[in-house]
Amino acid sequence: MDERELRVRASTYRLFVDLGRTPSVAEVANDCDLGTHETMSSWRALHDQHAIVLNPGTAELRMANPFSAVPTAYRVLARARWWYANCAWDAFGICAALGVDGLIETSCPDCCGPLTVTVESERPDDESLLFHCLVPAARWWDDIVFT
Amino acid sequence: MNLFRSEEHIARWLAGRSPGATISITKLSELAHAWWSDRLSPDWTPHTREQNMGILERLGLTGEFWRLP
Repeated sequence: MDERELRVRASTYRLFVDLGRTPSVAEVANDCDLGTHETMSSWRALHDQHAIVLNPGTAELRMANPFSAVPTAYRVLARARWWYANCAWDAFGICAALGVDGLIETSCPDCCGPLTVTVESERPDDESLLFHCLVPAARWWDDIVFT
Repeated sequence: MNLFRSEEHIARWLAGRSPGATISITKLSELAHAWWSDRLSPDWTPHTREQNMGILERLGLTGEFWRLP
């Protein structure tokens, strides 16, 4: 990962958190004082290195992990704002990345019953719940959206 | 990568598929905080495979299922 890619990545994450939404390539380009072509090229390189995830065939961000750019089944209230996480792991990851307590809302994929978890001092308040990871680590990035 | 109410709910949801790995939500929170806490640091650099394997191993997440490529 070269210096420009690190700069574009840092800007992408900072803008995501500051704006509370996914930044456009033009916004990141402006923030980095780069052209949109250069910025897009860096985004593609970051995607290839699994540092961000782009939508296939578009110039749009899908994930700045642990944050999701699109609505998902995992909503997180943290730093007085609602975020979407890519999965249960990333839901806790949003609290971790922001360095704050939070509230996770989702539902059990089996019974569809609501699940609400408060995260305080890095610990969940309901310790009875379980996390299931279907895909082995060696294959997580084969299809990260499915994973 | 989902949260479930219990083992029974996981088994029903799998509907005959091979299971992956199940861990407690407490362990998941520890894992997420170790994995993601530096993500917004302005000085962030990519974790190496060895760093990430170290996180998994410290939490007891070992074996073929948790082996990174």
